[in-house]
Amino acid sequence: MVYITRREFVCAAATTVGGLALSLDLPAQETARLSPAAPHAPRTPSAFLQIGEDDGIIIITPAVEMGQGGHTALPMIIMEELGGSWDRLGVADAPAAAIYNNPLFGLQATVGSFSVRGWYTELRRIGAAARIMLLQAAAHTWKVSANECSVDDSLVLHVPSGRKCSFGSVARLAANMPIPQDPPLKTVAQYTVIGSHQPRVDIPSKVDGSARFGIDVSLPDMLYAAVKTSPTFGGKLKSFDDGDCRSMPAFKATIPIEDGVIVVATSYWQARKALARVRVDYDPGPLAGLDSEKVSQQLRAGFDEPGIVARNDGDVEAALASAAKRVEATYEVPYLAHACMEPMNCTARVTDEGCEVWCGTQNPQAAQAGAAKALGIPPARVKVHVQYLGGGFGRRGEADFVTQAVIAAKTTNGRPVKLIWSREEDIQHDFYRPAAAIRFRGGLDAAGKLIALECKVVSASAPSFGRPGGPPFFVEAVADANYQIPNFRVTGLNKDLGVRFGFWRSVNHSHNPFMFEGFIDELARSAGRDPYQFRRAMLQHDREGAPRQLAVLDLLAEKANWQHPPAGHAFGISAFSAFGSFIGTVVEVSVHDNVVTVHRVIQAIDCGVAVHPDNIKAQLEGGMVYGLTAVLRGEITLKNGAVTQTNFNDYPMLALLEMPKVESYIVPSTAAPGGVGEPGTGPIAPSLANAIYAATGTRVRSLPLSRNSFSYRAVRT
Amino acid sequence: MFTLNINGSEHSVEVDADTPLLWVLRDELALTGTKFGCGLGLCGACSVLLNGKAVRSCVVPVSAVAGQAVVTIEGLSKDKSHPVQQAWIAERVPQCGYCQSGMILATVALLGDKPNPTDAEIDMGVTNICRCGTYTRVRRAIHLAARLQGNDKTVAKPDKV
Repeated sequence: MVYITRREFVCAAATTVGGLALSLDLPAQETARLSPAAPHAPRTPSAFLQIGEDDGIIIITPAVEMGQGGHTALPMIIMEELGGSWDRLGVADAPAAAIYNNPLFGLQATVGSFSVRGWYTELRRIGAAARIMLLQAAAHTWKVSANECSVDDSLVLHVPSGRKCSFGSVARLAANMPIPQDPPLKTVAQYTVIGSHQPRVDIPSKVDGSARFGIDVSLPDMLYAAVKTSPTFGGKLKSFDDGDCRSMPAFKATIPIEDGVIVVATSYWQARKALARVRVDYDPGPLAGLDSEKVSQQLRAGFDEPGIVARNDGDVEAALASAAKRVEATYEVPYLAHACMEPMNCTARVTDEGCEVWCGTQNPQAAQAGAAKALGIPPARVKVHVQYLGGGFGRRGEADFVTQAVIAAKTTNGRPVKLIWSREEDIQHDFYRPAAAIRFRGGLDAAGKLIALECKVVSASAPSFGRPGGPPFFVEAVADANYQIPNFRVTGLNKDLGVRFGFWRSVNHSHNPFMFEGFIDELARSAGRDPYQFRRAMLQHDREGAPRQLAVLDLLAEKANWQHPPAGHAFGISAFSAFGSFIGTVVEVSVHDNVVTVHRVIQAIDCGVAVHPDNIKAQLEGGMVYGLTAVLRGEITLKNGAVTQTNFNDYPMLALLEMPKVESYIVPSTAAPGGVGEPGTGPIAPSLANAIYAATGTRVRSLPLSRNSFSYRAVRT
Repeated sequence: MFTLNINGSEHSVEVDADTPLLWVLRDELALTGTKFGCGLGLCGACSVLLNGKAVRSCVVPVSAVAGQAVVTIEGLSKDKSHPVQQAWIAERVPQCGYCQSGMILATVALLGDKPNPTDAEIDMGVTNICRCGTYTRVRRAIHLAARLQGNDKTVAKPDKV
């Protein structure tokens, strides 16, 4: 298995370009210029796939690698149709260029669990087109019909004569063959690579320290930078005094920025030491009085303010008025930080020609644009070198840290600068998962059927936090519920409280299911019904998604042995659709003296065609941990306009000790792929809360659990 | 000037005495497999072996380790052949991978003390944070590494999926 890092790839491309077939290695700017910005522009195979005369296959992935497995799954999709040898594969990150815009949503961003579902068809076409070009080249050489040729393991075979040749030997000729515009594609039943157990290409480099993350970039003559910015949101730099740094031999400069200072030195440790000596005075800005209590008050005040009607089936008010039983509850969740293990960082070099940046980014074009804006130059003069990401989770879709590095590098006469955030800066200057609250009013008829549901969703975000022209993001997992509810109204309201917010793994599916599936559970209990059967009854229809959600629910119940929890134990269940997939979880708990013991977590997903099953399970496990960490103790609190938490001591992560026993199941499916990186985060919260209710009769309506006087332990095996 | 014994070789570095070992490894010796995560010894991403014990190099000043044996992830083997590395590959542990150097070294230290650790001993011995949530596979890989380090050299085939 050969894995080529970005740096090695550049070298390989440079040395073998004379023999490269199927493509030219276009520099980023060229590729960008040649590629229309339209998301559905024709994509030439050469931008994604290069085959050398040495038989090496280089696949350029539009998805970055942040642990989600994109560097393996996307090549698997190409290789399925190409018929190339996996042993000859090298993977490289795409430069910032419009040709790499995700076909599904039009941006070159590794976000929203969009990579596989966005590229599934396009990459198969590219692999198939390249295979046909190779077949035609070999057939041309042999003077036979291409129809008599086939491929296997990077060889072209002429079956009647038994002749064979390697991909590399005909690659140069193949590059001149016409690109097939609509090549026939395999059926799901014909797949041998998709759905297989391919080892992840990035794993070997992640067990010996050789994997290169953004923070590992090293350039000749490099300087280092540390940064601190206003603790309050919207605060500005008023003045600073770096007199105490001047005597430090390693100190180079203090660079004032709008909201703080950057210190440049000859080593990172010295930059940190110098930064600690800089006295900074801030104008705290208009939010200096904001604290968590006010956030909560403002969210709850939103319940009685008008909002956007996101769904309005039937007549909710009339149905509520006629209901035999009415149930009301409000739920609330706090802000959360991403806390990627690799603190934000970027290395930048600014010269007269333009700028180069090296960083782990989920959005190379945003990094490019951020750098260009900071320098006042066209984006085409910024080259982005994408590195491995030490966690992304949505945080690295932003480019604030890129801008800072570029501002610093502008002052160093062409010397590159590596700027690294402290963990404290990372926790206190995130783009937070918005705090949110929902008020529910439900009505049951005399038979215990849910006939009316009214949901008022208030999110501490802004209208921009959503798809332009589409339904607001923040009502997701509520307004798009698959349940049949005859009178169903969802209203959403944004309350932009000035706290930076952003995309946090699973976005609104990280918290809305906790509230919505929690309330559904309350309704089931009020109706005197089994929560699993109550949900089942509302999924007996053919509308989009219901049958698949029902199948996930049934699989969970079967694996849990739902009707028969072990003595003294209780189950909680939840299921919903998310990111094009259907997901659900059963949690088995016992509770004694307010200690919640999780004995077992059972997860199931229907994600359509399972491209890389083992990695899908890894994503479900990881998503669950991300969600469980938030459930147990995740909260970013505010005091005097600033974040209270600082590091992992007061924003603690789940530990190995606390990892419960997890089982993950994939529902077999031939439907188009759905997302897998994000969906697993959401279900643990409602399922755990519902299980706690089943065990204790106490309903958890706000998070984290630590605020509900419950503590936690896990049973491992 | 401090003389350090890193991965079996001597290195002289000219840095302030309070410089954490982490930054000496990364920025002076280009051993970037050791990662910065928190700066307070809380997360374990910077774990290295000091005389065979796992320490968090972000809170160990260079002056405290002069002349003592330091092993980083780069020094574990030349070819990923260490049993813990082999177990990590077999169990497909890493996701983003950023915490994994520290996880692996914490495991090496644990197995040095407890060649066949119980789950409770694993809980106490490996307290590193993984934000991707690889813990289930970490635990499996630790048990596998213990077997590989003993006489059972059979690397289990990956689970059926």
